[in-house]
Amino acid sequence: MYKLTNEEVLELEKEALQVRRNVLRMIKASKAGHAGGALSSADIITALYFKIMRVDPKNPKWPQRDRFVLSAGHKCLALYAVLAEKGFFEKEILDTYGKLKSRLPGHPDMYKIPGVETNTGALGHGLSIAGGMALGVRMDGYDSKVYVVMGDGELAEGSNWEAAAACSHHKLDNILVFVDRNRLQISGPTVKVMSYEPLRARWEAFGWSVREIDGHNMREIVDNATDIPFEKGKPSLIIANTIKSKGLSFAEDKVNYHYWKATPEEIEQAEKDLNEIERRLANG
Amino acid sequence: MAEYEYKDPRKTFGEALVEVGEKYPEIVALSADSSKGSGMAPFHEKFPDRHFEFGIMEQGVIGFASGLATTGKIPFVAAIAPFVTARPFEMFRNDLGYMRQNVKVVGRCAGITYSDLGPTHHSLEDVAIIRTIPGVVVISPGDPVEIKKVVHAIAEHKGPVYVKIGSPKMPVLFDENYKFEIGKGVVVKDGTDVTIMGIGTVFHKAYFAAEILENKGISVRLVNMATVKPIDKELIVKCAKETGKIVTVEEHYLIGGLGSAVAEVLAREHPTPMKMIGIDDQFASNGPYEELLGLYGLQSDQIADTVQKFVGK
Repeated sequence: MYKLTNEEVLELEKEALQVRRNVLRMIKASKAGHAGGALSSADIITALYFKIMRVDPKNPKWPQRDRFVLSAGHKCLALYAVLAEKGFFEKEILDTYGKLKSRLPGHPDMYKIPGVETNTGALGHGLSIAGGMALGVRMDGYDSKVYVVMGDGELAEGSNWEAAAACSHHKLDNILVFVDRNRLQISGPTVKVMSYEPLRARWEAFGWSVREIDGHNMREIVDNATDIPFEKGKPSLIIANTIKSKGLSFAEDKVNYHYWKATPEEIEQAEKDLNEIERRLANG
Repeated sequence: MAEYEYKDPRKTFGEALVEVGEKYPEIVALSADSSKGSGMAPFHEKFPDRHFEFGIMEQGVIGFASGLATTGKIPFVAAIAPFVTARPFEMFRNDLGYMRQNVKVVGRCAGITYSDLGPTHHSLEDVAIIRTIPGVVVISPGDPVEIKKVVHAIAEHKGPVYVKIGSPKMPVLFDENYKFEIGKGVVVKDGTDVTIMGIGTVFHKAYFAAEILENKGISVRLVNMATVKPIDKELIVKCAKETGKIVTVEEHYLIGGLGSAVAEVLAREHPTPMKMIGIDDQFASNGPYEELLGLYGLQSDQIADTVQKFVGK
């Protein structure tokens, strides 16, 4: 298990702030987007790309790379923000979000922008694709890992449970799933819309090794995600407790910001909120 | 009628899969239960580490195939036709089509070949729905020789493919010199009064119908239009111009199948009188296979009658 130093934690938090600034940059370009889930998963995806995953922005198709699958494709603002920050593409492209034929569609397209591994958006597809990747790199004898971010609302899709069974049956212990449990989906609290409880017991019953963390705590994210497989021969899963729209004072934990139609006043406030985070980080 | 050798299409597919498996080490086989029924037993025996079983998991298996393809593997997925087309349609569309993955899906026991098991197991819309997906090749081979050649061709082709095969034994109509090419129809017999375009499990019914019609003095051009997508536009227009009438024969709904694909070309390029033989808008009945085909006018003598009336001779 990797143990982050205090300096490394601070460094990652600064990266995550820049990622949130990139998300806001895209929202400013299009005036709307699925910001809620992007901001709940932003810390996880930042930690993956900046501390955990073996990737090379100059060689995005490197066969021995680790893979990232954003099963909840609508959170792609976070993925684009991280890929741009990591140098997979020029940041100016962020300003095209929402424009005609933009290389950054509202759900990711692997043929439009380097670093995107799958075309997700329809929910319940990512885990089986990730399972196939995990099987493929294992056949090749690579120690590559496959990391997946799923939404908690997405868990109502039955196809996820097909994939959960198959990953476990084929003993894919090179896969790590984060369930971004922000507890909200478009029409309300997830457990009221369609309960997934008991969440941990469900995954364990499907043969997964499960841990639970604070999905905004860099130390918890990295220390656990660098420790896979949690159990040899089993796929690993982290239930990451998160806050929807994390970082925006007016939108945090509010269901109506699942898809944010941003007013000029809100954008101004969002900038103030991110500046405040920056000030806090500067003070250590 | 001459004597023909009959071969099991699934067994033939299975033999071809071993052949291409030897040629391409990237090929892996994925089954959703009943791998033996899909002809995969010889592949499993020969390459146990390259065969993966997924049980009755027809959505998941398509996603896994897509993920495997991203690592350079060439997955062949075979299972009962409706369960790898209608059921996981969105996975086929997004994970294979939209992601342009090099995955080959084989739907077996297609059409009404699962006759007595009824409409849940019939597949009369597979061509219609899969050919709406951009970039997916759709093939319905007409005899065992063609099945083998198709398997070799799709292993070489880069991109998603759907192949439908039946289950009853099929007569061997072609010899080893028969040339299959993706996207090309084959004129099996030339003629001037009418063109019959047939595919798949009932291609041989059209073939024998053409013989009956010849004996009645009607000159039939017989075309095997095994690739429904991309369709051979050039040949369709050529036949329309040269014979003036087109008949399509398929074990599929009239909505969206070969007949529709041909009509789409002719409506735009060269409007021509057509007759479409297939199954109309209904859930097919159940019973012995050959009797069922007769119920829908797909036996050779029935096809010959329909064509004769259409030609007006």
